[in-house]
Amino acid sequence: MKQTGLVFFPAFDWAISPTHPEREERLLYTRDQLFEEGVMDLPQIREYKSGLATHKDIARVHFCVPDVDAQITEAHLVSAGSALVIADAVMNKEIGNGFALVRPPGHHAMTVAHGNRGFCNINNEAIMVEYLRKRYGLRRIAIVDTDVHHGDGTQEIFWHDPDILFISFHQDGRTLYPGSGFTDELGGPLAHGTTINIPLPPNTNDAGIHYLLDHLVLPLLEEFQPELVVNSAGQDNHYSDPLANMAFSAQGYAVLNQKLAPDIAVLEGGYSVETALPYVNLGIIMAMAGIDYSNLREPDYSPGRFARKSSSNDYFDQLIKTQLANFRNREETVKKNRGRFPDEYAYPQHIYYDTDGISEEQLVRLRMCPDCAGYRIIRSSARHSGWENYEVFCIAVPTYGCPRCQAEGQRIYQEMCGKPGIFDHIYLQDRVDDIYRSFNSGRQAETVL
Amino acid sequence: MLIGIDVGGTFTDGVVLAGTQVVATAKQPTNNADLKGTIIEVLDRLLEGRDCRDVQRVVLSTTLVTNMLATGTGPATALLLMPGPGLPVDCYDLFPHTWFLKGSVDFRGRVIEPLDATEVEAAAAQIMAEGIEKAAIVSKFSNRNSQLERQVRDIVQHSQPSLELALGSDVAGQLNFRRRLVTTYYSVMTQAVWTGFVQEITAALVARGIKAEVDILKADGGTMPLTHSIFRPCETVFSGPAASTMGAVALTSHPRNSVIVDVGGTTSDISLLIDGEPLYASKGAQIQGHYTHIKAFSVRSLPLGGDSPISIHEGRLTVELTRRDNAACFGGPEPTVTDAFNQLYSLEIGQPERSRQALAKLEPQAGMGLDSLCREVVNLVISQLQAAITDMFQEWENEPAYRVWEVVHGRKFDFQEIVGIGAAAEAIIPVLAEKMQVACTIPAFAPVANALGACVARPTLTVKIHIDTQSGYWVMDQEGRRGEVKTGAKMQLGEALDLAQRNLQQLALERNMDAYADQAEVFLQEQFNVIRGWSTSGKIFDIGVQIAPGLIKEYQGVKQ
Repeated sequence: MKQTGLVFFPAFDWAISPTHPEREERLLYTRDQLFEEGVMDLPQIREYKSGLATHKDIARVHFCVPDVDAQITEAHLVSAGSALVIADAVMNKEIGNGFALVRPPGHHAMTVAHGNRGFCNINNEAIMVEYLRKRYGLRRIAIVDTDVHHGDGTQEIFWHDPDILFISFHQDGRTLYPGSGFTDELGGPLAHGTTINIPLPPNTNDAGIHYLLDHLVLPLLEEFQPELVVNSAGQDNHYSDPLANMAFSAQGYAVLNQKLAPDIAVLEGGYSVETALPYVNLGIIMAMAGIDYSNLREPDYSPGRFARKSSSNDYFDQLIKTQLANFRNREETVKKNRGRFPDEYAYPQHIYYDTDGISEEQLVRLRMCPDCAGYRIIRSSARHSGWENYEVFCIAVPTYGCPRCQAEGQRIYQEMCGKPGIFDHIYLQDRVDDIYRSFNSGRQAETVL
Repeated sequence: MLIGIDVGGTFTDGVVLAGTQVVATAKQPTNNADLKGTIIEVLDRLLEGRDCRDVQRVVLSTTLVTNMLATGTGPATALLLMPGPGLPVDCYDLFPHTWFLKGSVDFRGRVIEPLDATEVEAAAAQIMAEGIEKAAIVSKFSNRNSQLERQVRDIVQHSQPSLELALGSDVAGQLNFRRRLVTTYYSVMTQAVWTGFVQEITAALVARGIKAEVDILKADGGTMPLTHSIFRPCETVFSGPAASTMGAVALTSHPRNSVIVDVGGTTSDISLLIDGEPLYASKGAQIQGHYTHIKAFSVRSLPLGGDSPISIHEGRLTVELTRRDNAACFGGPEPTVTDAFNQLYSLEIGQPERSRQALAKLEPQAGMGLDSLCREVVNLVISQLQAAITDMFQEWENEPAYRVWEVVHGRKFDFQEIVGIGAAAEAIIPVLAEKMQVACTIPAFAPVANALGACVARPTLTVKIHIDTQSGYWVMDQEGRRGEVKTGAKMQLGEALDLAQRNLQQLALERNMDAYADQAEVFLQEQFNVIRGWSTSGKIFDIGVQIAPGLIKEYQGVKQ
């Protein structure tokens, strides 16, 4: 059997602020537990050194305003870079699967990055997915977000991408940050049905999540036939998490990962640093490495502690039925959408950055391309925490975009660069040729990555 | 007068150093059945015509424990383990006679599950019934709280007083239960034999009127007093490569990024100096395939040396793994690696004509001329050494790092020189350095660098302290030492460093190895705020201080 790869990057010298949940202490006890167990010495495990993502890796996914350096710290480069280390090792078949046990997290970061939202600046999984596509030519990838918070960043990034199946289960958005992730959020007009949300009532336990996994998530994966499965592995569904209200256990997480069998897991949230993380992280590693996890338990856990009072699965059954139908009808829906919006589909979007207190207004225009996912134009304005106002114009050509969308995108970029005074920055994300341009109108200077 | 003796697998080397003069050297085949005898013979030869009262220090580096563990001839030893929750117990089922007991401690040192005294007693009775006389007692996280280990010891001592016991928290208190149980197991297994050896050596020295300080070389390149070594016999493993590395450090005064290659008769040991400091194995010494908590230099051993015989095997030119005799130029019956280098580069080693003759005999079978034959042997040897060296660089550069600045700044081995020591270095190393395009140093006394390294190595001591001010305690990684600290978040890093330094000084004093304690340096300082709710309720520190490997102050270099 092939080994399980592990990058452990606790960023012991990085925090959002000294008492913030996303602080140095977060993976301290996980370090204690993993190292005391001797996990890195096990024949089933191969430890890798963290790596560094490049600015280009980030620009492939994000429009960072005004530039990449303004939105990241070195810790972000290492965290995203570590996911790429695991991705390379999996693709080179050095390991069977791998876990990037890293911080800072990323799943709330969206396409345009004005600041930090939900503890995230840049999206580690999205950066990894686009890297895998460019470097290894992958196309169909499934991301299952198992964090208790809705993975709204990842959802937004792949909203228009029919080749990425994004599934998120999370505590119901009416009761928890970021307040989204409802069943009717299914993707853009050309990618409808490849975004699947599974809102869970508070206090959902192991049995509940496993039921949904067996009857919804696994069948979806089976039908979608992705080339790779990624677990966006938050750990805050745990019963002891201070920021959420669920009833999941370390055993539950281990079972989940055994059933899901992700090729790659990337750590997301989870802030019960002492009571949950050491055990949940160990559980994920053991499940991925095929090590018997029956001896794993939290000190205060007893089986049956979170048994549900009602044995009814009505809510879940209805949810499963709805979402399976949404997924299975996706081609038909997309066809219908093409008829309704033959040239372009436009919509406004408001994004709030809770950590930095930034409000962003967007207007998104999608070209309803008959041959590809269509290029997008995003006009975005926001006032940053240092009072600077930014008006930016972003053009995104998809990875598997058609020649026409690519040419159009390039033309619009050139045109916009020639119109002074309207936008502070103009960006072109040409994923087909893997070239990322940004034009600073004030200085009349272009940067190419 | 300082004496160093290094027992190797094939030969035992000795030197006598008086001031800056090497006044005597000795080399003698090792009798693996009687290491004490070999040591005493070499000692007697070194002391011929000298006054024993002038001896100030004797340092021994010996393979006694290494051999016993490698051959699996140690006495049956039991393990009483308290793994608690986590990995399945079969991950820790590494040795026969293992008992898994109830009881567990967590990472903050809290006892999560108590012992079951009757279970402990029953296990102790079974151990006795199986005729086993030694047992290691180890619990997970005993490095944070050794209470369960001590309770088990008390119960076992009470019910089976004749059992010889060792506790994990005493022997190996660093994080890693797996390595702790392995280290404790080997430690208690070898203690009696080692103690016997110490007594015999002491008696022999007394009989010769030597009243000097006697030290034992450890795998970390430092020494410990012979008297103290009976508590930590396992630390004497792999002292041979450590002796060679320290010898190279002593003989090359300028600190550089160097590769040290000790080319012996049948093996070549490669180690690295980074800015003149020997590199440690990141996972500790490996014994019988198991990682341990024994600090050791990072050493790569290749089964390849100056005496490795050259033969034609099924029509192919082969460098054999097992030594049979000396090189032909030194009177051996068949050609070896040294002869091939001697011939090809006209090194004029020993009797070069004999190298030529012995190699020429292989010409017809090999189907090639003398020159091509030698060149092929040289290429085989050099490419193996080069691959091993490059691999070591890569391993060091790719070692995991857990802080942002370590990852961002990366690591690159800026290779400056190769230092060749050992008997066959002269023949092989200059060619290797030429191939790798770096400077080459073959210091004087290279053939006995190992014994010299032992002779001038200073004592080393490493202490790690974990301080948890939220819980109000500190613990040391040795002897299960523990103390109290004021609870709350007021402790500063400086106070934590002081606490570690004070404990190291104290331990050094008790072990009679305090001569260099004032030079102890900090190698690890981690500080974490423990946040509960939104306020700081305590701090956790991990502090490491050490008297690093180095040379004794009496050593002022050697005159060539």
